[in-house]
Amino acid sequence: MRFEGRTISPGKATGEVLRLDEPLSFLGGVDGSTGELRVGNGGNVKGKVLVFPRGKGSTVGSFVMYDLMVHGCAPAAVINESAETIVATGAVISSIPMVDSVPSVSMFEDGDVVTVDAASGAVDIEGVEMHESVSSAVVSDGRVLMLRRPASCHSFPGRWSLVAGRVEGDEDPVDAASREIMEETGIAVSEPDARLDPVYVREGNVLWKVHPFLYRVGSVEPVLNEENEAFDWVAPEDMAVRDTVDGTVGVVQRLLSK
Amino acid sequence: MDLTREEEAILNGESGEGMQKAMELVTALGKIYGAEDLIDITSAHLSGASYKTIGDGGLKYLEDMAAGGARVSVPSTLNPVGMDRERWREMHITPEFAEKQLRIIDLYGQMGVQKTCSCTPYTGANVPSFGDHVAWAESSALSFVNSYIGARTNREGGPGALAAAILGKTANYGLHLDEKRRPTKVIEADIDGSVFSYSLLGQAVGMAMGSGIPYFRGISPELEEAKTLSAAMAAAGSVALWHAEGVTPEAGSFDVSDLEVIPIGEKELEAAYDKLNTVDDVQLIALGCPHLTEKEMHQIASFLKGKKKVRDDVEIWFCTSEEVRARCPEDVRIMEEFGPVLADTCMVVAPIEGAFQRTGTNSAKAGNYLPTLCSQKAMVRDVSALLEVVM
Repeated sequence: MRFEGRTISPGKATGEVLRLDEPLSFLGGVDGSTGELRVGNGGNVKGKVLVFPRGKGSTVGSFVMYDLMVHGCAPAAVINESAETIVATGAVISSIPMVDSVPSVSMFEDGDVVTVDAASGAVDIEGVEMHESVSSAVVSDGRVLMLRRPASCHSFPGRWSLVAGRVEGDEDPVDAASREIMEETGIAVSEPDARLDPVYVREGNVLWKVHPFLYRVGSVEPVLNEENEAFDWVAPEDMAVRDTVDGTVGVVQRLLSK
Repeated sequence: MDLTREEEAILNGESGEGMQKAMELVTALGKIYGAEDLIDITSAHLSGASYKTIGDGGLKYLEDMAAGGARVSVPSTLNPVGMDRERWREMHITPEFAEKQLRIIDLYGQMGVQKTCSCTPYTGANVPSFGDHVAWAESSALSFVNSYIGARTNREGGPGALAAAILGKTANYGLHLDEKRRPTKVIEADIDGSVFSYSLLGQAVGMAMGSGIPYFRGISPELEEAKTLSAAMAAAGSVALWHAEGVTPEAGSFDVSDLEVIPIGEKELEAAYDKLNTVDDVQLIALGCPHLTEKEMHQIASFLKGKKKVRDDVEIWFCTSEEVRARCPEDVRIMEEFGPVLADTCMVVAPIEGAFQRTGTNSAKAGNYLPTLCSQKAMVRDVSALLEVVM
C-alpha cells in the first residue's frame, strides 16, 4: 500500500522499519558513533526506516544525527507523525530522507519493508493492503455491547469486539456503521453520538483503517446473525480483562470521554 | 510554500550544494511552522558555538560546511564559546577541548561569521533596528531584540540560523508577522526595581506563562534590566517577546483590555527564588549571564575597589565579551584582583562540571541551566551578596 505524507527532507530510500511508539530524543536516545538505540526495545538505526511519532529533547540531537551519518550509521529514512525542528534539522543537514504527516506510527510494524520517496512525500509499505472498516460502541445504561467472533472468523478470530465490519465500495462510514449494527444485532440506530478520527490497526499484512463511532441506545435485546457467536453488555472498566480485538479498550475510553 | 524563481533555483542546486542544503533547511522549517514564503533578513546571530554543546557531530558539520565553501551573506555574530581563547587554563579546560574549541571558532570565521562570541551582541557587534527582520538564535538575545528594539525574529536553532545567514533569508512565520506579536497576558509587576528583582520577575513569569507574550505594567527596565528579564523568561519558560507599557516600542500598538491580568509580587518572587536556590555554599561564583555590560563592569569594579578577597577556596569568574573587556581596562584591573575577567565564554557553555559542583550566580537563566547542563547545585543571589561570600 502507498500513501502520501509530506516531504521534510528530500531523497529516496528503502529499508526495514524500526518503530518507536514514544517521541525520540536523539541526544541520549541514540549512540551517534554506533547507531545503537538506547530506548524502546533497543536495536540499531543503521539503514533502517526509523518510524516514531515526533522528536523531542535537546537541539544537539540534530548533530547526533549528523554524527550518525559521518559514522555510516544513519537511518535510511525517517518517518514522523509530526515533524519538529530538531529532527527536521538533523535530517536535512545529514541528507536523510524524511516524511511526516503519516496518520499514525501504528500503521507500521518492525520488519516492514518501506520505501520513502521524499521527493513526492510518498510512503510505500511493501506487501501490505489497507482495508477500511467501522467499529461501533453501542452503549446502553453505561454498558458497552461486545460481540464474540467465532473461531472461523477471518479477522481476529475468537476475540471480543465492538460491532464491526468492512466499509463496502464507496459507502459512507456512518452508513456502514448503522448497516453493520442492524445486520449483526438487529438494533436500529440513526446518527452517531460520538466519533473519532480513524485509527490504524495492523493484522499481519492487512492494515485496518477503522472509523470508530459511539451510539447510545435505550433498553434493547440484540439479535445476532451468523457473524458472531455471543454477546455481552460490559462495563468499560471490565473490558481490559477480556480478550478483545487490538485497540478496542483505548478506543472505547476515548469515545466515552467525548 | 511560495518560492520565487530564484529561490526555486537555489533549492534545485543551481547555486551549489551549500546553498541548496541551506535552502532545504530553511524551507523544511518553514513548512513545519506553516510559513507561506521566505523573508529577507538584515542580520543573524548563531548559537552552537561551544564544543561542549555541539560535540564532535557539530564540529564535523561545521568542517563540512566550511569545506563546501559556505559563507554567510548578512552580518552574523556568534554565541559564547566554551572557554576564553587565551585564558582557558585558568578555567580548568583540557588541551583537547581547547584545540577543538579553537577549531570551531576558526571554522565560523572561514564562513564569514564575526569572531566576537557573545550573548549580548546587541550592545555593539550586531545591533538591529526597529522593524528589521533577523534570524537570531540565543534565547535571551533574540527576546531582547524582539522586545526592547522591536526587531523581528523567531527562536531560531543553531543550524537554522546559519542556513538563514547563508541565504540572507528565513521562513516568514510566527514573530515575523504583526498578528503573532500581540500580547497574550498582562503582568502587573510589583518589584523593587533592582536588576536582581528583574531576574526573579523573569523567572516567575516564565514559570507562570511557559510560552506566550507578556505585557508588563509597573516596570521601567533599562538595557541591563531588559537583558536580565529576557534571559530569565526564556530560560524559565520559552518567552521570545515581551512588551512593557511606556517602555518597549510596540507596547502602545495593542489593546490589552480583554487580556487576563496576572499579578506578580513578593510572594511569586519568593517562590522563584526558592526554585532557583539549591545550595548555599559555593566553589565558584560566576557573574555575566548574559555577558556583563560596560555599566555592570563599572558597578562591580566600584563595589570591589579597596576590598580584599579572603577566601581562596572560592573562585570568581567575570564573563563578558572581548569588546567590553577591551573597553574598560581600569575596571578589569580591579576585578582581576578577585578573579579572571573572561572574554567570549560563560559558566553555562564552559565545561565547569569537570572542576566544580556548586556555583553561585546572580542570573535566573544560569540558575535554570547550571543544574541541567553543568551538573551544578546553584546559589542565586544579587551581585553584592555573592561577592561578600569571599570577603
